[in-house]
Amino acid sequence: MDAHSSTLDTQQIPALLRGESESISGWLDQSTTRRAALCIAMILVGAGLYGAAVGLWRSPLQAGYNAIKFPLIVLLTTLANALINGMFAPLLGLNLRFRQSLMAVLMSFTIAAAILGSFSPVVLFMVWNTPPLGPSLADARDAHSFLLVSQVALVAFAGIAGNLRLWQLLRQLGGSNAVAFKVMLAWLAINLFLGSQISWILRPFVGSPHLPVEFIRDDALAGSFYETLFSAVGKLLSE
Amino acid sequence: MSEPNSNPQPKPPVISPAAAAPATPAALGELPAERVPITNPVAAVEAILREPRRIMFQLTQPGAGRVIASLLLAAIGCALVYGIVVGTFSGGEQLWAAPVKIVVGLVLSAAICMPSLYVFSCLSGSRARLADLCGLVAGLLALAALLLLGFAPVAWVFSESTESAAGIGTIHLGFWFVASYFGLRFLHAGFKLLDARGSGGLAAWVVVFILVTLQMTAALRPIVGTAPTFLPTEKKFFLSHWFDCTVGTPKEKPKTIPRAKVPSKFSS
Repeated sequence: MDAHSSTLDTQQIPALLRGESESISGWLDQSTTRRAALCIAMILVGAGLYGAAVGLWRSPLQAGYNAIKFPLIVLLTTLANALINGMFAPLLGLNLRFRQSLMAVLMSFTIAAAILGSFSPVVLFMVWNTPPLGPSLADARDAHSFLLVSQVALVAFAGIAGNLRLWQLLRQLGGSNAVAFKVMLAWLAINLFLGSQISWILRPFVGSPHLPVEFIRDDALAGSFYETLFSAVGKLLSE
Repeated sequence: MSEPNSNPQPKPPVISPAAAAPATPAALGELPAERVPITNPVAAVEAILREPRRIMFQLTQPGAGRVIASLLLAAIGCALVYGIVVGTFSGGEQLWAAPVKIVVGLVLSAAICMPSLYVFSCLSGSRARLADLCGLVAGLLALAALLLLGFAPVAWVFSESTESAAGIGTIHLGFWFVASYFGLRFLHAGFKLLDARGSGGLAAWVVVFILVTLQMTAALRPIVGTAPTFLPTEKKFFLSHWFDCTVGTPKEKPKTIPRAKVPSKFSS
């Protein structure tokens, strides 16, 4: 093992962010444990920093919990969907090996995590400017809502950027826009489907003002994200 | 052993012939890879995902029985594992009942629809033998069950989270529709290679097959929830069964009632 390979080459991350398909596609062909470790490390750091910044509004303890939970969502979603994502690629016309499809998804999440990590100082600034959790529940609710909405926007932006890069990579691998789009869409759909549920299980992240700080809620496994969503939509329609 | 350099010269990824297929595909069996025999379920699984034409070619060769057996074994194995995941929603007896019912349901659906597929195949002008069609249906089952296996971790997360039998039933049905789509796509591709003049007959058969598999969810209920008897005592059309499940399911199951005692009308 040469000296260079024994360390994580973080200089590869900018190439990933720039979407240099020629050099990145080599990752899939020669995806080593070291490259996977680099992606995982970036997810741990990027998503962890972002999560911590979001949680800091509620309390330092919530920040600590978030630093663990945000990367956990990404890694659990990637792992649990690895099998079906690996099957979708060849079935939709892109003959990637299982390991290659796993690496491709991991790379897209790495890009999203890098973007989220880079936003963490911005989020910290937002948190610093947001009214703290005080005795007035109404003010706390406003601040909570503001943080929630802004986080959704930031996470959505990071997700779109990650998937855009993924699409470019898949397009280069498959040589066809249609195949790349189909594979990306299938992966995106199943990752969103499971990712939403895992996020639901691992709640809270911002933390409702009237609830205590916890790693996960006591009723974490009671109900699903989609049941809650349908129930909320039903309530809105019935009012 | 040294690992590759971290900044190697960019090397183009390995793109399979399937991904970079020419506009006019070669005749079945022309490619050397298609002539490699399929001798076990693992090879069958690999081939059905990446080289479906290899399966189709091998089904026309002597020893096709071994390929069909491999596909069926793969289908049964994958369906059993998925069935266990389905059973985790209720636990207890459902841990073995759900996988058994799913495997039986799949095989029964295929057996019930096999004669009509042969007739529709003939009506479409195909010269396919019954054995060829058995192979294609075995491929359909294997691919669909394999995809269900791929969905199993996702299904498990939802099984552990939700208390609603209708909710988890809907998720399983969604997965079944996706799996069936790809399985039927394989069947359609094989059908075209068997000199069929048109696919109208196959389209009609697909409707029949889907309806039969959906009816299995009512005929073999409960697959997701629980009931006092292994099989239902009352006959129901699947739409009526689903309606009862949806309307009858409480938004949140009372904490005092253990899952195993949920009334049968809540099962799907």
